[in-house]
Amino acid sequence: MKCEKCGKNEATMYYKENINGVTREMHLCEDCAQKENIGGAFESAFQSMNHFWSDPFHSFLGGGFGSLWNDMLGAPTATLLGTERKCPTCGMTESQLRQGGRVGCPDCYQTFADILNPYVEKVHGAKQHIGAAPAAPEQPKQDPVEALRAQLKTAVENEEYEQAARLRDEIRRMEGGQK
Amino acid sequence: MSMFEIHGGFDGLAASSRVRLARNIKGYPFHLSEAQHKEVADKVFAALQANPTIGPEFTQKQVIPRSTEASQLVEEHLISPELAQNGGWLIVSNDGGVAIMVGEEDHLRLQVIGTGLCPKECLQTAERIASLIEAALPFAYDARLGYLTACPTNIGTGLRASIMLHLPLLTAAGEIGRMTGYAGSRGCAVRGAYGEGSKAVGGFYQISNQVTLGASAAELTDQLVETATAIIDAEKKMRERVRSQDEDALHDRVWRAAGTLRSAYRIDTAEAVQCISDVLVGLQMGLLTGVEPQTLYRLEQRIRPAMLAGAPHERDKKRAALLRDAADGLTLQ
Repeated sequence: MKCEKCGKNEATMYYKENINGVTREMHLCEDCAQKENIGGAFESAFQSMNHFWSDPFHSFLGGGFGSLWNDMLGAPTATLLGTERKCPTCGMTESQLRQGGRVGCPDCYQTFADILNPYVEKVHGAKQHIGAAPAAPEQPKQDPVEALRAQLKTAVENEEYEQAARLRDEIRRMEGGQK
Repeated sequence: MSMFEIHGGFDGLAASSRVRLARNIKGYPFHLSEAQHKEVADKVFAALQANPTIGPEFTQKQVIPRSTEASQLVEEHLISPELAQNGGWLIVSNDGGVAIMVGEEDHLRLQVIGTGLCPKECLQTAERIASLIEAALPFAYDARLGYLTACPTNIGTGLRASIMLHLPLLTAAGEIGRMTGYAGSRGCAVRGAYGEGSKAVGGFYQISNQVTLGASAAELTDQLVETATAIIDAEKKMRERVRSQDEDALHDRVWRAAGTLRSAYRIDTAEAVQCISDVLVGLQMGLLTGVEPQTLYRLEQRIRPAMLAGAPHERDKKRAALLRDAADGLTLQ
C-alpha cells in the first residue's frame, strides 16, 4: 500500500485518532508521518501498550461503532440542509453521531434514543442498568414543628383559619410532647 | 505497605489485573475544553483531599501532550496513549495503584491496577474512590442506562475489568481458539496482549468483560474471574501434561532459556520475550527459583524496541544487559 499523503513511498505506519468523536485513519510512509508529527518514536512506543487501554468492542467493530454500527443503521437518513436533527444541549447532529460513534453529552441519549437504544440493546444484550447508582442526596432533616409552622404561615396568609387553628393545635401538641 | 497496592494470587499465570470505571460529571458535555479539564481535575482532586485518610495519598499532575513524561506515564500504565497524545490531567496515588485520567473520551477514567489475579479487590477500591468523588461531583446517570459515557459501548457500569494471563502452553497446543470461544460464551473477550490474536508473542493475553450494561460491576467481575480461573486451570493442566510426557525436554528448554537470559550479550525482542516466557514457566513449575515473576513481567515490557533508544544492534545489547541484570539470581532446580 502506498502512502496516502505523498502517494510515492510504501506506507509503513498506520495512524488512527479520535478527536471529539471524529475518527481519522491514515496509512503513511515514515517521512510523511514525521512531517505530520505523528508516528515516530512517541507513537510507536505505545503500539505494544495499546491493547491495555483499548476497549475490546472498539477493536472488534473496527474502531468507533464500526461495522456493526453501519450494518445496523445504514447510511445516515437523508435530510434537507438545515433541518437535520440536533441535540438541543450540545448541538451534536445526527450525522456527527452516526459518523463518530460517540455521543456529545448525556442528553444525546434522550435526543437520539431511537438510534441509540436499539444499538445499546444489540451490543450489551440488555436494556436496563443493574448495580451501582448515585447515593440519594441526603435530604436535610427538617424539624417537623418547623414544617408545621411554615404550613401555618401559609394557611394564615391564605386566610384558611380553620386549617390554621388545627395546625396551631398540632404544633402545641408536638411542642408539649417534646418537653 | 502502600494504601492502594493490591496483590492477587496465581502469580506465575496471571501477571496483573486492572479495573477501569468510566464516569462523566453531570451538567457538562462529554468533550471538554482544556480549561474545563483543569476545572474537573481540580474538583476531583479537592474531593479526594477532603478525605483525611485518602487525600494525602494522591497527587495531581498535568499531562503535557507528547512530552517525555507522558511517554513515561504510558509505560507505567498510568495513562492511555490517547491522553499522552492529547494531554490532560492525571490524579494518581503515590504507589501508582489508583490513577484517574481527566481528558480521555470520558471526563474521568478511574483505574485501579494490581499484580496477580485481583480484579475484585481492584473493583472495591475503584468503587470506593468513585463514591468519594461522586459525593462532591455528581456523575451523569440515567435510571435505565446507568452511568452515561461518550461511547454507548461503555454505558451502565462503565466497567472494564481485565486480567493479563500468561498462557504459553495452551498457545503451543493450539488451544487458544477454544479458550477464546469459551470466554466469549461467558461474556469475556480474550486478545493477544501484544500483537494481534494468534500472533501473541510469549503467550501473553488479556481477558476482559465485553459488556457493561445489564449486570452489576461485581457480577461482571465475578464472571471474569471465574472464566479466567478456568483458563488458568487449563494452562496448568497443559503444563503438567507436558511434564508427564517429556519432563527432560521441558527441563532442557527452561534451563536453556535461563542460560540465555543470564549470559546473552545481545538479543532481539522476539527471542527475549520467548526466553522470559519459558523462564516464567520454569519458575511456576519449580524448575527454576530466585527471581520474582513480577520482575519478569515488568521486564517483558521494558525490553520492547520503543522503550530502548538507539539503533537496532545497540538496542539488542541494551536489552541483553537488562535481562542479565534481572536474571542474575536465577537458580536451576
